[in-house]
Parts: sequence; C-alpha cells; structure tokens
Amino acid sequence: MNISVKNIYKTFNDVPVIQKLSFELKEGMVLGLLGPNGAGKTTTLRMILDILRPDEGEILFDQGRINKNLRRLIGYLPEERGLYQNYKVIDVLIYLGRLKNLSKRKSYVEAVRLLDRFQLIDSLESPVSHLSKGNQQLLQFLTTIIHRPQILIVDEPFVGLDPINQEMVRAEIRAMKANGKLILLSTHQLTEAEALCDYFVLIDHGQTVLKGTLKEIQKNFKQNMIFVESTDDLTHLREIQHIQKISVKNSRAILSINEKAPIREILQEIINSVNVTKIEINKPNLNDIFLQAVKGKHQV
Amino acid sequence: MRQFFIITWWEFFRHFKSKSFVLATFISPILFALIILIPTLFLNNPASDEPHLVGCVEFDTTRIAQKIRERFNEINVNRKDQTNIKLVTIRSDTSDYLANRFEEQMLLKSELDSLNDAYNKIKERRKYIFQKPKTPKRERLLKRTYQELIQTRESRDLIQLDYIRTKATNDSLWRRELIRKADEMLRKQELEGFLLIDTAAFSKGIVEFHSFLPAGFLQIDPIRQAVQVVAVEERLKKEGIWGGKIQEWLEPVKIKEIQLQAGEKKEFNFMVNYLGPIIVVFFLFISIFTSSGFLFNGVLKEKTNRVLEILLSSVNHTQLISAKIVGLGILGIFQIIIWFGITLILIGLNVLNVGEVGFLSIQNGGLFLLYFVLGYLFFASIFVGVGSLFSSQDDAHHLNQFMRMLSIFPIVLAVLVLESPNAMVVRILSFIPPLTPTFMILRTPLGNPPLIDYYISIGVMVLSIIIGIFLAGRLFRVGSLLYGKKPTLRNIFRFVFSRY
Repeated sequence: MNISVKNIYKTFNDVPVIQKLSFELKEGMVLGLLGPNGAGKTTTLRMILDILRPDEGEILFDQGRINKNLRRLIGYLPEERGLYQNYKVIDVLIYLGRLKNLSKRKSYVEAVRLLDRFQLIDSLESPVSHLSKGNQQLLQFLTTIIHRPQILIVDEPFVGLDPINQEMVRAEIRAMKANGKLILLSTHQLTEAEALCDYFVLIDHGQTVLKGTLKEIQKNFKQNMIFVESTDDLTHLREIQHIQKISVKNSRAILSINEKAPIREILQEIINSVNVTKIEINKPNLNDIFLQAVKGKHQV
Repeated sequence: MRQFFIITWWEFFRHFKSKSFVLATFISPILFALIILIPTLFLNNPASDEPHLVGCVEFDTTRIAQKIRERFNEINVNRKDQTNIKLVTIRSDTSDYLANRFEEQMLLKSELDSLNDAYNKIKERRKYIFQKPKTPKRERLLKRTYQELIQTRESRDLIQLDYIRTKATNDSLWRRELIRKADEMLRKQELEGFLLIDTAAFSKGIVEFHSFLPAGFLQIDPIRQAVQVVAVEERLKKEGIWGGKIQEWLEPVKIKEIQLQAGEKKEFNFMVNYLGPIIVVFFLFISIFTSSGFLFNGVLKEKTNRVLEILLSSVNHTQLISAKIVGLGILGIFQIIIWFGITLILIGLNVLNVGEVGFLSIQNGGLFLLYFVLGYLFFASIFVGVGSLFSSQDDAHHLNQFMRMLSIFPIVLAVLVLESPNAMVVRILSFIPPLTPTFMILRTPLGNPPLIDYYISIGVMVLSIIIGIFLAGRLFRVGSLLYGKKPTLRNIFRFVFSRY
C-alpha cells in the first residue's frame, strides 16, 4: 500500500498553513515529517486521517480516498496525550481496540499481550490515572498499535518517555518497519528521526524546505563541516576565505564551507592561523541542515 | 455502523456506572420529593401535628359558641382537606373582686325579686279589698295598703336601678376580663385565635376573629361556614321555622368538578390533573439535563485529554456525535424506566394509589416519551456543539452554568400552562423549541390540546433538531481540534460557515 500526498493546500482564517505539500509513503518505509513548532506537521497528519480536509490537492491511499476500512488499518498517536483517566487500563485498551474492528475477545488478548510485552501487565486492572505519566504515554502508544496497524502515524512519539520506554517504542517501530508497515513519524527531535527514518520531509510555515533520503539531503545541501579544536582564539577563523558560517564554543569551532570550496587550502590556512589540537571534516547532520534550511542565516 | 454501536454502548455503560448517574436517578428525585412533600405534610396532614386551638369567647348564656362548635365539628369532619383546628370555649377564673361584685349583684337581685314579690302581693290584697265593698274598715284598709304599695314600689325601683347599674358594671368587667384572658392565651400562643361572640352583633351577622396571623393562613374556612350556618339557624328560628328542617336546608353543598379530557369527561383530581404532570415535567427535566450534562462534560473531557483525536482517527465526526447522543439518550430513557419501575413498586406497596398516577396512560406516556426524546435531542445538539468549543472545564464552567439557568426557564414559564393550558399565549410559546417539550408535556393532561398543536410542535422540534445537529456538527468538527484560545462569538459564526 502507498499513501500519496499530492499538492495539498490548507488555510485557516485565510492564513495558509500548508502550501503545495507532496510526498509519498511506501510499505516498509519510515517517513519523517520534520519541522519546527507551527510548521504544519500536525495539520498534515490530521488531513491524512481525514480529521481535516485539504482546501486543494488530494491524499490517496492506493489511488483511493480514505474510507472506513482504511481507517481500521491506521494507528494514530496524537501529539497531545491523555486517556480516560478514571477507567481501567484494560477497559481503555479493549474499547479503543474494538473501535479498530477487533472483536472483544481479540482486543482483550492483544491488550494483555502488549501490556505483558511492555511490562505494564501489573497495571491491567488499575485506573489509568494510577500510572506514572511516562507509563500513560506508553499506554497511549499501545492503544495505537493494539490492532497491529498497517499504517502507523505517530506525532512526537518519544516526548515524555524515559530512555527505557523510548527504546521499547523505537524497537517496536523498527519491528513494524521490518514487517513492511507504513510509518509516518512527525517530530522535531532530529536525532531520533535520523536514527529511524528512511525518508525525510522538512517543512516550515507549511512549505516543503527539503525532502529525500538523508544521503540525498546531505548531497543536495552542498556543504561540508570542518570541526576544529584549539587552545587559541578561534573567532578570527571567519576571516578565512570560503568560510560560510562559524560557530565557536569554548575551544571548539564548527565551520561551514561550500562543497566545492578548496578544502585542502582551507585546512592549511586554519593550521597556519591557530594552534590546532584536533581537526575533522564531516558531512552535515540533519540537525545542521535543519538549522541552516529553516533559519537560513549564519550563526556566529 | 459497528463503531457506532461500540461508542453508543461505551457512552451508555460508562455513565450508567458513574456516581453522577446514581445521584441524578435516585438522590435528586428523593430530594425533590422531600422538597414537595414536607411542606405538604405540615399543611395538610392533621395527624402529623398538634391541633390548633381556636377559642370562643361568649359574654352571655345564649350558647351560640356551643352551637358554632358543634356545626364546625360536623363540617370539618366531612371535608377532604380537614383542618387541624379545635374550637374551645374560653372561661375566666373569677377574681375575688369580681366574685364580690357578683355576690352583691345576686343580693340586689334577690332583694329586687322579694320587693317585686311584696309589691305584687300588696296589689293582690288591694284588689281583693276593692272587690269586697262590705269589708269592714275598707276605706282605711285601701288607704293603708296604698301607702304600703307606694313605699314598696319606691323601694323596688331604687333597688332595680341599683341592680341594673351593678349588672351593667359587672357585665362590662366580665367582658373585659374574658377578652383579657383570651388575649393572654393568644400572646402565650396557647391559641391560634379566638372568636368574639356578642349576641347583639351576632344577630346582625357580625363575629370578630382575633389572631396574630392573617385568618387566611389559619385555614378558618370551616369556622366561617359554621358561623354562617348558626347565624342563619338563629334567624330562621326567630321566624318560627322548625330546627330539624333548618339543618336539612343548611347541609353544605358539594361541588363535583368534572373536566373534559380527550373527548371524555372525568372527575377533576388535584394530584392526577395538576401536581402529577408537574412532577413528570420535573423528572423529564432532570433526565434531559442529566444526559445532556454528561454529553457536555464528556466531550469537554475527551477534548481536554485528547481522546477525541484518537476517536476521530477511527470514526468520522458525524458517527462520533451521533453515537454519543444516542448512547446518552438511551441512558435517559433507561433512567425514566427506572423511575417508572419505582412508581410501580410504590403502587405495589400501596404508597401510591393507582388513581394518583392515572394520567400516565399509554397515550400520555407515549407522548411524554416522544417529547422527552425531542427535547433531549434538541438540548443535546446544543450542548455537544458548545462543549466542543472549549478546551477546559474552567473555560466552559460559566457557559455551562448559564445554559443550565437558561434551561430552567421553561419550568418557570410553566406557571402559565397551569393557569390556562390552552390560552393563545401558551399555544404560541409551545411552538418555541426550548419551551416545547415542557409546555406540551404539561398541556397534555391539563388541557387536552388540539391535534394541530401536536403536529406543529413536533414539526418545529424536528426542524430545530435537524438545524441543531447540523450546527453542532459544524462546531464540533472545528471545535474538537481547537486548543488554548477561548472562542469568541465571531469565531463561532465563522466555524459554522467556514470549510474545515
């Protein structure tokens, strides 16, 4: 199955929040929808789920529009969390499982299986409010996957989870990917995205800034990073030709240079200028690219 | 459709198990019943209270007070709403001074009687002498007895004057003493009031009633009737009409109230035709607002804890709203069934009389249920639409309060229906959607409204519900995803007419 988002456009109160956004999600792929707060990530997810409708463009599930059968194949974890606080963990899981077309029996079995796997089985009969905040977050993730969805749409899945629970969720997402599920992950935690996603769509103010695999993005970004460590003052390195941006912190500096800049000459000039204790040439990571692309200006 | 039933069942069952439902179903009606019954028991149940004493003050020995008491007892015992009044005669302990005065009056009376007697004897003797011309010394005897007669008459007239004066003074003192005594008992709250019977005034039909409270508060209607009967009896006696006949003529008239209901005539019963429908309206009101309140708070809570968004990933907005409305509507009907069951149990235990709930006929019951469903759907659509606009209980609190206040409005206006169920103003108000269910439920047993009123009211409600649910759907679609900012009226208007 594929999900095709084609040129969607959405306005709220005449203000465009999504503009001509397009991407495609395929089986076995984890797509990271990235962007700063207010970029339009959640609105995009809501449009995929048909909670909101695009003003223009279309979202197709295998060439067709979303319907009640497709809804049953989707697991959705919204950004803001909360469940029925006064109800038993098992009852909440069964209810939300049944809404995804599981039978009552199947819901119960799946709920117990998941609670056991995610080490929440002791809380089976407890009210949701008795769980810690982190475990409530985890429970909410379990409600999303109880029906073994074909399509998983998760909005900031790691927020509020402790490292152990984060690892469990990460492992589950990887397992789902290995099973050929479609996974759409919306986050602004770029390190997480980089570790999990195969394809990235970076949006800002509703517009696509970058998209592609990490390699494609890095390749297209056409920049290299030079990492310098020295006991001398590094700020005057900005005077070196071809340096586009320099970020200095303590005795370390990160220099951005154009991909086509003469690296050998620049390195020589750095070594001549300061007493270098360490020097490295790196490809920019997603975070660097994100900052550059979104802010679009140099930081010193 | 399966999801629809799952949500319906979830909404029904989770609220059915809630404490709020138990409170609204069992505790609220008990409180409501107590509020209605306690004052009624105090006012109407003679066995529940000490008798209220009303005194009779009478200055002479005509025994009018006793007659009034007898008539009062006869009238009161035959009344459906017996008053708990007991008539008693007020007597005064005579003081030494007053006792001496009466002693003196009695001596004067004896003296007057003996002088009268002596005077009459002298007159008889003179008559005898006068009629016997041959009596020796006749002239001398006549002259002597004449002297005696004059002397006795003078003495008698003097004593008579003295007696009249003494009696008048004593009567006046006695009257003052009795009133003082009655006033004192009134002040000490030993009496609720007293009747002052003055024979002269009574013959003109005037009796004074002294009390602290207005006479109307004391339910003295039977006393008034008894006084009336005795006054008429006394007047008729004066005209020489035989006592037994008088009693027959003065037998109180009973007015049998017959009401035209649904084409047939039935005897009017306060409980059946008046209080019963009001109680039904109150109960349906509790039910409508219990369910609508659950809906309002449920949507608000699900929005606050973001469950709505999860639900919306499984079902569409329309399915979600309609399942919630239907689930809680079934809860309302279930609540009514519980109350109906309790009513049957109370009838079984003879706490309630079958006749007292006679207005709950199958036809009326069906109409009540129909208007309940229409009323619930109307208010539910408003509550769900408005509830989805707010992000927290605090934001919605004032609006919730305001809407509940607004919802009481039909109950307040219901007085108009009780006064005149088929008046034009009541008919017009019956076609205004928020008032329709209450007004039509009240009018059904009270006024037997024309068939056209049922058609119009049902048509108006159905139309209002369609519009209400459409608007609620629009508001819910946008409102359910809004967080943080309180919506203004302008926003709400925009939500309804914008495309989202």
